[in-house]
Amino acid sequence: MAGLVRAGFSLTRNAIFSTSVRSIATTAQLNLKAIREQTEGSTLVVEGVTVPSPRTELLIRAENVPVPAEDTALSTSEKPPCYMCALGLDVKHTDVLILSQFVRSDGCMLPRRITGLCRRQQKKIGKMVSMAQKAGLMINLTPEKCKKDPTKRREYKKFNTYFDERTIFMRKIPKPEDRFKR
Amino acid sequence: MSAAKRVQQWAAFARTWHIFDCKWQDPYDSANIIKKYLMGLHKPIYHPMNDCGDVVVCINSKEIALRGDEWRKRAYFHHTGYPGGASWTLAWELHNKDPTLIIKKAVYRSMKGNLQRRHTMERLFIYPGQEVPQDVMQNVTNQIRQLRLVPTRLDQIPEEVAKTYPKVMDYPEDYVLK
Ligand SMILES: [Zn+2]
Repeated sequence: MAGLVRAGFSLTRNAIFSTSVRSIATTAQLNLKAIREQTEGSTLVVEGVTVPSPRTELLIRAENVPVPAEDTALSTSEKPPCYMCALGLDVKHTDVLILSQFVRSDGCMLPRRITGLCRRQQKKIGKMVSMAQKAGLMINLTPEKCKKDPTKRREYKKFNTYFDERTIFMRKIPKPEDRFKR
Repeated sequence: MSAAKRVQQWAAFARTWHIFDCKWQDPYDSANIIKKYLMGLHKPIYHPMNDCGDVVVCINSKEIALRGDEWRKRAYFHHTGYPGGASWTLAWELHNKDPTLIIKKAVYRSMKGNLQRRHTMERLFIYPGQEVPQDVMQNVTNQIRQLRLVPTRLDQIPEEVAKTYPKVMDYPEDYVLK
């Protein structure tokens, strides 16, 4: 009986709090939300406030970028799977202004359902974020108790390190005809 | 000999002093560049028996950058000559002991092992920081271009620049800002 009650409670809690359930609500348009906490006397008020995204005006998409005439034939033949593939930027791990957009305030990479990247780009950007963190290039986007200054880290971690982006996809993907080769 | 020819003659055989900033540079890649200037390979009059090498001053050797996990994977071997006298020092341990030694060994190993190598190495000056003695600095007339760009840290970029930088990713509509 108690288990049944608990299950019912968790179901209702999921119905109230989970974002997936909220997103199919028909009443209000859901927007970017910021959680604000206010104390009024002895009561703590926590509310989700809809905020306009600060990025929409600065956003760059491949369909808005003017393309030279000879490139259009190439681009229309095959549709790229996501917006980063469509842009075709050569991002290095030192491009912290781009990599910091895919990162939470504690420097953790955002999951794919939020970034909206394809699998390959998500892996690539995620590895480059960790490269930039190891090289100490994004020390203002780190957890609170992290040793921010790279020179104060331990042993081999305190010296400058750079990375080669060609090492990200090292594993060779076998082709179907490689199956019988030894 | 005319005056112009005499100047040309002096310029061809004079030793030029080059400076190289090792900040965020790979020592093993930059050793191949430094080697060229030390041996005089960049001059058209180069010959192995011709003493035409230049002098190179390396600064900021403390801030060299190694690739990937090489700080803990690269080992330097030394043998005392006695039985059991072998020792392997990791790159970060060596750099802790002497921050000039990795770049020195890299340049030394990039050159062919002949009798000239020790004398060529005498023309290489390495300093761990920015401070160079005045009697060395006053001779420097040329700077060797760095191989890699020194990366900019995110906290060194002003906040308005980071905010107004073109964005690639936008949050989904029901994302809770963190
Ligand atoms: Zn993609």
